[in-house]
This record gives sequence, structure tokens and C-alpha cells, in this order.
Amino acid sequence: MPFLTRTLPFAICFLFGVAGFAIFYSPHPYAEETTQAFALWLRVVSAFAYFLGLYSLLNLHWSKIRLRQSGWAYSLIVYISFGVMCLFVLYNEGHGPLQAQSKTGAYQWMFTHIHVASSATMFSTLAFFISSAAYRTFRARTSEAAILLVSAVIVMLGRVPIGGYLSETIPEAMQWLMTVPNMAAKRGILLGVSLGAIATSLRIIFGIERSYLGGGGEE
Amino acid sequence: MDRLINLDRRFIFVFVFLGVAIPLLVDIPLPIKPSPTVRSVYDEIERVAAEDAGRPVLVSFSYGASTEPEMVPMTRAVLRHLFQRGLKVVGICLWPDAVGLAQPEMDELAAEFGRRYGVDYAFLGYKIGYQAVVLNMGQSVADTFPFDTEGTPVGDLPVLAGVESLKDFSFVFDFAAGDSMEFWWIPYGQEKHRFPFGGGCTAVMAPDLYPFLQSGQLVGLLGGLAGAAEYETLVDAPGRATDGMQPQSVTHVIIVLFIILGNIAYFASRRRDRQA
Repeated sequence: MPFLTRTLPFAICFLFGVAGFAIFYSPHPYAEETTQAFALWLRVVSAFAYFLGLYSLLNLHWSKIRLRQSGWAYSLIVYISFGVMCLFVLYNEGHGPLQAQSKTGAYQWMFTHIHVASSATMFSTLAFFISSAAYRTFRARTSEAAILLVSAVIVMLGRVPIGGYLSETIPEAMQWLMTVPNMAAKRGILLGVSLGAIATSLRIIFGIERSYLGGGGEE
Repeated sequence: MDRLINLDRRFIFVFVFLGVAIPLLVDIPLPIKPSPTVRSVYDEIERVAAEDAGRPVLVSFSYGASTEPEMVPMTRAVLRHLFQRGLKVVGICLWPDAVGLAQPEMDELAAEFGRRYGVDYAFLGYKIGYQAVVLNMGQSVADTFPFDTEGTPVGDLPVLAGVESLKDFSFVFDFAAGDSMEFWWIPYGQEKHRFPFGGGCTAVMAPDLYPFLQSGQLVGLLGGLAGAAEYETLVDAPGRATDGMQPQSVTHVIIVLFIILGNIAYFASRRRDRQA
């Protein structure tokens, strides 16, 4: 087992996994300070992850442009948009990148009127696809499907004012569906997911699951 | 009948479009009744205003541009209530996009109620790290956010006088478009330091958070545009969310009618097949 690619990462993972678990539940001041130090290191690593993400994004689109792959013009738009936004952030209405970002100006205008508008529009178009999907999938083919269908209709009407306008019972039935069957199911799922996450974490900490090291799965 | 079962989806799209567009042009007044989970947030802020007004309220913005239509009306309704009651407010962002979305709303509402920056409210901006930011704030707010967005050291902001860590806030509220409530704030903040915690989220996320309401880890919850409209009703300031309830109501009715139509067609075709 090569020391740098297998043994050292596994040792770091084991050490921080066990230490992180132990100190989180300890009220000792030293444990508290160590938790804070770990959290700070995590934030530093997260910041570097942004650079990796940026590199990955730009590299992917550069490859598409270079090889003239299908849709390469969209990749060019990514570069132009990134460049223009960066330029105005650095310019910062003449104050430069070391001053607090201006609350007005070209960058803010592009953020509000291009980024926010286009992102919200993309998200809003989901309403059309969900409507079409609801029409095709909500069919009472079985008794379970019929229960799901009736519940969906009650929640859809109960969540908007027209439900209460039609009948006071609809919002009350919606509230019952959310606080009793929904909550029971969600709690079950949450507990299952959490137990699964604990089991996976233990497998990683104790070296049973090593696929994150690359080049193979369990040993 | 087969044509109805395999209805062209563009037909549905046209009806959904009209269901959104017409109520925006024609006023259809509908009564908005606040739900218990929304009322709980309102009551908690009223309690803080009556019993604990000396300590600031921490407001965390964890949303981005795509959820702006749902989250900004909610932000405005809750901030309006906080400023209306004269509470001190400190804003932070755990998502980078949120700075450009939340800060203008905070400044505008603070100006409307004559609140002074630094004294009555402050905006500390974005810090990377997600749950790690919450963990660090549990020990020291000033070390986690040394400066506000203007570059002023937080120690120079009177609104943060006496605030050492998360437990020094009277109430913490998270506006979430992701999993910040259940995976960041509750396990690493509320559960560790036991402060009153409330939240507002997109409609699609709300069902996931009901277990935390029953456990008391969340004092209340605003779910989606409907939650925002209910809060606007409670603070008696109808805004974008209240306006949005008309198209949303009509669109939901259209979807329900299409579902009924689809089932009628399905059962009719099944009956026809059996007879054949």
C-alpha cells in the first residue's frame, strides 16, 4: 500500500473522524476549542473548493470551445458572462476590489436584472412541467394511488386561499395530512437516512469503505 | 377518449399560463387565513418584543436567485414585523447570492421605519463554510464575522454590543432555500445552544421540516409564498405574496380540474376496454 496515496489519507480520515465525533459531544473547554479549530479549517478547505469548482467549470467550457463541440457557443457565453461580471466586480464603480462592494452600478444591475431574473424564470417554468406531470401521473389505478391522489388534491387546495374559500374543512384536512401522516413518514425517512449516514461514516472512518481514496472499493 | 388520456401537454401549458396571467390582471379577492405554524413565528416575535427586546435578533439568509419570488416576499414580511416592533436585527448570509437579494430589502425596510444602521440593525454579509459558520458563531460571532459588508469592525457596531456568541441572540430566524435549517442550524446551532429558532423555506421543502416543529426545535415555519402571504396578513401589510395567492389559487384549481379530467378519461377508457 503506497504510503502517500493510501496509508496517510486513511490515517488522517481515522484521526479526524474519531476526534470529530468525540469532541462534538464533550462540553470540556479544550474539546470546544478543538471543534472551533476544525470548523475553521473546514471553512478554509471550502474556500479552496470554490477555486477548484471555478477551474473545473472554466476548463470544461474551454475544452468545448477548443474542440468546437455541440453547443460550444453557450460555453463562449459562459466565458463572456464570467469575464464581464468579474470586470465590474473588480472595477467596483471606481473604488477598486479592496473596498466594500458598491450597492449600485453595473454589477448590481446585472445581478438583479439578468442573474436573478433569468434564474427565477428558469425555476418558474417548473410549474408548467409539474402541471403536465400531475395530469399524467395522478391516476387512481390502485387504492394506494387513489389515496395519494386525494391527498394531493387536498394539499394543493388547502395550501392556497381558495381552499378555505371553498370549505373550511379543506385547510384543516391539509393541516392534518401535514402534521400526522406526512410527519410520520418524514420522521421515518429522516431516521433511516441518519442511521445510514452513521453506518457509512463508520465504514469510512474505520477503513472498510475506501472508494473515496480512488482506485477501488471495499477491501 | 385516447386523445384525452394522451392530451398534448402544450394544451395544459396554455391553461396554466392563463391561470397565472388573468388573475394578475383581474383582482380576485380571497381570504387569507394564517396557519398555526406561521402564527407561531408571529407569536414568538411578539414575545421577544415584549420580554427580550434588549438583545438583537439574528436573521440568516440562505437562498439564491432562483427562489427570489418565494423568499424575498417572506423576507420582507418578517423583517417588517421585526422593525415594526423596534427589535434590533443582525443579518448574515450563508449563501453567496443572498447578499445581493437580502441587503437591499433590509436597508429599504429599515429606512421605512427610521432605523439607523449600526445602532438598530447591521448586515454582516456572507461567510463560506455552511454548518462550520454556525459552529464558529457558537463560540464567537466577532471571530466568525470580523467586519460588516462596509468593512466596519463588528466591535464598533452598537447593535452587537453584548453579543459574544449565538446564545446571546433573543431569536434566530433562517430563510432557507436548501437544507440549512435541518442540517446546519438545528444540529450545530439550536441543539447545542438552545436558542429560540424559527424558519421560512420554499413550499417544496416545508413538509420535510414538520418533524422539527413537533420536537420544538423549530418554533414556527413559513412555507413558500403561501406562508409569506399569511405573514403579510398577520402584519397587516399585503404585498407581493398576497398578490401571488390569486394566480397560485387559480393555477392549483386548474391542475386539480385537469387531474379530475384525466381520471374520468382513464376510467371511461378502462370501462370501454372491458366491454370490448
